[in-house]
Amino acid sequence: MNKIFLKLVMLPSGFWRSMGADTEQLEAILAIRLKMDDRKPLSFGRQQTRKKALNNVTLKTMFISCLMGVVYTMISFVNDIMFSLTIYFGYLLIWLSIMLITDFSNVLFDVRDKFILIPRPVNDKTIVLSKLLHVFIYLFRIVIPLVLPEMIFLGVYHGWKSVLLFPIAVLCLLFMTLFAINLCYLLLIKYAARKFKEIINYFQIGVSVIFFAAIYLRPRSFDAEASILQFKWIRFFPSYWIAVSWNFLGYKTELIGTQWLSILAIIVPLGCLLLMIKWLAPQFGRNINNLDISDTAEIKEGAVVTSTSTKKSLYHKLANLLNRNDTAKAGFNITWLQTSRSRSFKMRVYPFFAYVIVYFVFITTRNSKSTFSEAWHNLPNEPSFIILLYMCVIVILNAMNHLYISDQYKAAWVYFSSPVDTPGKVLSGAFKALWAKYLFPFFVLLSAFTLAVWGWHTILDIILALVNVTLFAVCMISVGARHFPFSTADQINQSGYRVIRAVLSMFLVFILGAGHYFLVKLDVMGLNIILKIIFLLLSSTFLWLVWNSYSNTSWAVIKKAEEQ
Amino acid sequence: MEPIITIRHLNKQYGTKTVLNDINLDIYPGQIIGYIGPNGAGKSTTVKILCGIIQDYTGDVTIAGKDLRGNELEIKKMIGYIPELAELYDLLTPEEYLGFIGKLYHLHDNVIEERSKRMLDSFGLLGNLNQRMDTFSKGMKQKVLLTSGLLNNPSIVILDEPLSGLDANAVIIVKELLQVLKQEGKTIFYCSHMMDVVEKVSDRIVLINNGQIIANGTIAELQQNGTDSLEQIFSKLTSSGNMIQRADDIASAINYTDQRN
Repeated sequence: MNKIFLKLVMLPSGFWRSMGADTEQLEAILAIRLKMDDRKPLSFGRQQTRKKALNNVTLKTMFISCLMGVVYTMISFVNDIMFSLTIYFGYLLIWLSIMLITDFSNVLFDVRDKFILIPRPVNDKTIVLSKLLHVFIYLFRIVIPLVLPEMIFLGVYHGWKSVLLFPIAVLCLLFMTLFAINLCYLLLIKYAARKFKEIINYFQIGVSVIFFAAIYLRPRSFDAEASILQFKWIRFFPSYWIAVSWNFLGYKTELIGTQWLSILAIIVPLGCLLLMIKWLAPQFGRNINNLDISDTAEIKEGAVVTSTSTKKSLYHKLANLLNRNDTAKAGFNITWLQTSRSRSFKMRVYPFFAYVIVYFVFITTRNSKSTFSEAWHNLPNEPSFIILLYMCVIVILNAMNHLYISDQYKAAWVYFSSPVDTPGKVLSGAFKALWAKYLFPFFVLLSAFTLAVWGWHTILDIILALVNVTLFAVCMISVGARHFPFSTADQINQSGYRVIRAVLSMFLVFILGAGHYFLVKLDVMGLNIILKIIFLLLSSTFLWLVWNSYSNTSWAVIKKAEEQ
Repeated sequence: MEPIITIRHLNKQYGTKTVLNDINLDIYPGQIIGYIGPNGAGKSTTVKILCGIIQDYTGDVTIAGKDLRGNELEIKKMIGYIPELAELYDLLTPEEYLGFIGKLYHLHDNVIEERSKRMLDSFGLLGNLNQRMDTFSKGMKQKVLLTSGLLNNPSIVILDEPLSGLDANAVIIVKELLQVLKQEGKTIFYCSHMMDVVEKVSDRIVLINNGQIIANGTIAELQQNGTDSLEQIFSKLTSSGNMIQRADDIASAINYTDQRN
């Protein structure tokens, strides 16, 4: 498969050469990167790789991508094909952007390049192009199953010509997203290298707001009769430029005089690429050295690295409060500190705080034909606070997803050489740190909002939600492979999978919260409070059982996870 | 004879911290330069500048008559670099990794294969040619790194702590290799903390401390008619206290117990 992709991306080698790349080196770099991607790094103590695990990940990723593709096809359906495709490509564009920023930044800035590629006679254009094409191959793999449902839909309703045009349109969109995001990256490296990662964090939050805007501004209630004329500003969006290329198949856009915009679908990615290669790439080598690519936050000259006494006492106090065992305290402390200082961790987790708010606003206004302010005034009449409280789980799930990953995963030898009797204690300490740091404060904040809007009678629901959310998080961390914190390597193969899994977990939260929601909504025979107390007791018991099993995880379980 | 490497008024800062402060150095072809200094003195920064890894410095660096700025690619073709840390793609086998490195220098497949196999054979690694390097020991990785640094038959070899992790036999091989390379007219820029080795192999020793060159000459010149070893000279010039006392302090720290417990 890799060989086919490699041949495909090297087809326009004359074009790459004309841009200043050394195609022999380019092919060698790409071949070696793809080869490495297929190999799973060995964690401490592991001696053999198993390809099966990766293949499963690939299959799962493809399956979930395909499911998401069905959802995108459904929610972007509008009778007007141009409008429908504009919405569809819009979703795709935002999804690709989030994935590029969240999970592929590390691929674009591989620390090892500094010692392996930069000292060799390889020009900067070749290095930049190799990174772009590497990420392109991975995005393309993920995008194929994602766009398949829409392609089938187009084939059934609009004929084979649409099916033929669609992959070209998707390729244009892919190039546009990849090149535009990289252009932003290179500009940031050129002008703000030392603040690069901090700016990227804000960038991610910004993208999540755009995500919200894109969803909020789409036709309400999946109105199939919605007209593109209501959204004339859409002509400024790249997704419209690509959709309007259906003009070549005889479809007419209602936005008169905008057919020519389809040319932009070709010109913009090409323009971005030229700008990158001709203008920004020649300084890549110089700028990448200014770039602070270390995973830890920048320390100012002369600054004391240890935290202030207040902060130190806070996490120490929490560690003592929440853990009885010294091993668990150690797990708590290391997780608390590492998550505070690891940029890649923060980059991947923090935007999800914003997503919770975004999804909440989206859900609470989803069926409303009214304005935003009317929806806000109607808020206390619906028990939508349940959704809000349960959505907190997204943040901790995402933090859990990234708890094991680190560039310095080999440092995990300390767990294996230390006299740790029950490794589950380290794991439980680590989980408590995530809970205390990412779930609880956010939950308290949202609970305060709930109490302010819905009143004190929601207090039992808040407690029940907290127990259920914790239960769900513990169940999720228990069923996954159990690793020590920051003990496994990051892999490009897993990149798309993690983002997709995070999105999927959102649907699981809906299912979890549904029981509670209907309990509040349908007051069965006036037994609402009693039922909630029973629910709370059952959840607490189950939580205790699952937690007990998790915190007593044995070495055998850890080693089994290491071997997978 | 014209120097092959000329460094003039080389400065490098990280933020407000000066790492290199007005470095001036001439290195002649066929010389082995021992570049030594305490941790954080600026050795690795100098090396990274010479290898084109760090490009934002002030001052002038000329290599083989060419200004390093603007001629990076040409100069990199002449250099073989062995970094301090075993930075390599360890998911690959030595054969795959060396094949990849060879391609970056546009070497023919046969040349890559022959050079790789012969060098690895000499290091006793031929049997591990198709084994993934993440299963290798530090010393084994270092041998692959040495092989990769010499694969392009460079005229200038820059080694940053090349003996790290190597067994005694491999250390002997590398020391002898340096002499052979020198006889072939190659220039060796050798950074290390292993003073006895530096003392034995180097034609000239450059001692750097706090970003400045504080000594530059042959071992005889540095001894200044005394009989001090390089280790003693190093300690005199760079140390700020009694080493034996410091060792005693560490030992007493280990024995500390809290009387309250």
